[in-house]
Amino acid sequence: MPESTPSLKTEVQELLLVAVGAVSGALLRWQFSVVLQDRDVFVNVLGSLILGLLLGLPYRPRLQLLAGIGLCGSLTTFSSWMVNCVDLIVSGQRLEAVGLIGMTLGLGLGGAALGLLLGRGISALALKPSEPPR
Amino acid sequence: MVGMGAIPGAWLRLRVVNHFEPLVPRKHWGTFLVNLVAAFALGLVLGLERAGRCQASGGASALILLVGTGFFGSLSTFSTFAVEVMNTLRERRWVEAVSLTVGSVIVGLLVAAAGFQIGLADA
Repeated sequence: MPESTPSLKTEVQELLLVAVGAVSGALLRWQFSVVLQDRDVFVNVLGSLILGLLLGLPYRPRLQLLAGIGLCGSLTTFSSWMVNCVDLIVSGQRLEAVGLIGMTLGLGLGGAALGLLLGRGISALALKPSEPPR
Repeated sequence: MVGMGAIPGAWLRLRVVNHFEPLVPRKHWGTFLVNLVAAFALGLVLGLERAGRCQASGGASALILLVGTGFFGSLSTFSTFAVEVMNTLRERRWVEAVSLTVGSVIVGLLVAAAGFQIGLADA
């Protein structure tokens, strides 16, 4: 077996981490969309913020699989966003469709940037005490 | 139902993105691909639903929850897209950031509309 192929154990571990994150993410997305009726804007922005935050924190492969790929990946959705826009266009609400595109893009990017800043801030605070004296 | 659909969706997304990573210059085109496939398929599922194929339960049917919300909702991702666009912006690769954003939105809308129409017409 070539070196680059992950072992079965690693693969199952990865699957479990992603699965746990994905199930909770998808269930949360479903509940938020039912309660808020906001066409997934909230979950997309929230997920972008969390993923940005993870990017700012020190890289941990397992946390990335669980929270990044699993939770955020499933919490947010590109396909529903597109289908919601099509739905609005088909029903003649073109302005709302443009608004949905702009709002999700703007808030999502803003959320990701804010998350990144927060993550960096947290890691800066957390790393300071353990920094070796020079 | 939503949870059951989400597991294969997220897993497939991880595998596809990892699979295409060596083939394409940058990782975000793998995300682009799964997002578009999911947008088309979700459009198709909703078109079929709208056409009256599965309205037995009145509200959202189990099929929509499993396949639509669970599987395709999890297969596609907005957060990765947003972070990737943000990264291209931070690296000041403006053209790539704009082409990724505009390309994703326009092609995404087109394929979702195509899927939706096919779903409607098929009934």
